[in-house]
Amino acid sequence: MENTADDYRIQSFDLDTQMLLKRALNDPSSVNLEKVSDIIVDQSLKDQVFSKEAGRICYTIVQAEAKQSNGIVFRRNVLNRLQQEFKKREETRGRSLQEWVCYVTFICNVFDYLKVNNMPMVALVHPVYDCLLRLAQADALMNEEEVDCLVVQLHRIGEQLEKVNGPRMDQLFFLLRDGFLLQKGLTSMARLLLLEVLEFRAGGWVLSGTAHKYYYSEIAD
Amino acid sequence: MSDWTRGRRRDANNSEVENRSCGPSRGSNCRKRGIDGSLRANREMDGSGGEKGEHADGSSKHSDKRQDGFTTPESTGPVSRCSRQADWGSQVDDDEMRSSVHRDMQRYRRRILGAEVTQRERKTSSGSSGSCDSKEEDHMETDEAVLLRRQKQINYGKNTLAYDRYIKEVPKHMRQSGVHPKTPNKFRKYSRRSWDQQIKLWKVKLHAWDPPTEGGQDNVLDNIEELGLGDVMDIELDFPNLPDSQNASTTHSISLDGEDCLGTPVKVQKTESTVEPEMA
Repeated sequence: MENTADDYRIQSFDLDTQMLLKRALNDPSSVNLEKVSDIIVDQSLKDQVFSKEAGRICYTIVQAEAKQSNGIVFRRNVLNRLQQEFKKREETRGRSLQEWVCYVTFICNVFDYLKVNNMPMVALVHPVYDCLLRLAQADALMNEEEVDCLVVQLHRIGEQLEKVNGPRMDQLFFLLRDGFLLQKGLTSMARLLLLEVLEFRAGGWVLSGTAHKYYYSEIAD
Repeated sequence: MSDWTRGRRRDANNSEVENRSCGPSRGSNCRKRGIDGSLRANREMDGSGGEKGEHADGSSKHSDKRQDGFTTPESTGPVSRCSRQADWGSQVDDDEMRSSVHRDMQRYRRRILGAEVTQRERKTSSGSSGSCDSKEEDHMETDEAVLLRRQKQINYGKNTLAYDRYIKEVPKHMRQSGVHPKTPNKFRKYSRRSWDQQIKLWKVKLHAWDPPTEGGQDNVLDNIEELGLGDVMDIELDFPNLPDSQNASTTHSISLDGEDCLGTPVKVQKTESTVEPEMA
């Protein structure tokens, strides 16, 4: 079928796993979808590149399973794994910043890709906000890695999130403004990222042409 | 008797728990997702098991017997408050069903609007009128809890190999009312008893399309007759033309391709036995 391995960046898996994922994409009922969901979640937690893409492969498997057997096994498993990881997120963050960042990236990516009747999954709204608010705490703003993650997520799903829950987005941006203005010890890279996302939301989740130039051109006019 | 409509919610639980407790074995081999049914059972064990049991508290009688994903129709109804605390997977499943029901409701409203228009036209042109239920919308079931419960019952019936075979073998335009199974209309106002009976009859009819096993299905027909097609005709008001029951035997026998009778009759008998306690 049209689903090929390279579409989903699964080359980093061993060959058996790649085969399993391919079958999951093309003939989901022939594989153990619970195992597949575990593989995808586990990989997302340790592979930053994959965690940015994993929502897409999840989306495709969910579609394929629904079409083939009206099933929802895979989606359930992914969500419940996400929930397990969510419960121990603070512990994860303490152990490995990278894994924590991967987790946030993954949950946001799933939020972005998996929809229920074209609407965001309500169950994920608060958890996603909880993660982003955690990234906006003072200690997290000190880590460029976390600031970067926060900003990337807001670029992708900020608008959707605000639509489903405006007040929490306000709450998040109070923190970001305070962080930008008042927090001592932020690197200028972190400040740049924060400033950009503040402008981005202020412009209705679009960066104006001039702002884009300012942030992304090699030479500003 | 009147309890049926009064204390619908409570009754809902009780009666369905009864149903379920007869159910699990019946036709479980026909479940589409039966292939990985065991997997699901496993998954249930680890991790989410604890909470699951907790939230399903009210209906725990069956929840432990039942594979999840076939959770009983009532669980989103009365228990919906509790399901907020359920695992994310189930929350999303519930949301999906809820939003689907609402979407269906809009569609149905549009459709009956259209139907009313044509009916009015017909009235004015020919003078003949089906005055019976012109104001469909007044008779529409809009209680979310009821709709969700009904949808679950329908999904349960559709999640069978028999249903897959049926929709493949009999294209929509070939289906005849009274002859072929017709999914009950969840948007019609029906008493609890009438609805459950419709579902039951529908499922019995679907069993005619069970995949061939060692068991045969010849008895299914008799059982349908026994259960009384009269009831179905009563119920399927949306069909202006009366179904001709003599066709029933011919159409059904097509799908029966000479199997001897062991497996299915048992199932059907079980269905019947679940009918009895409710009648009483």
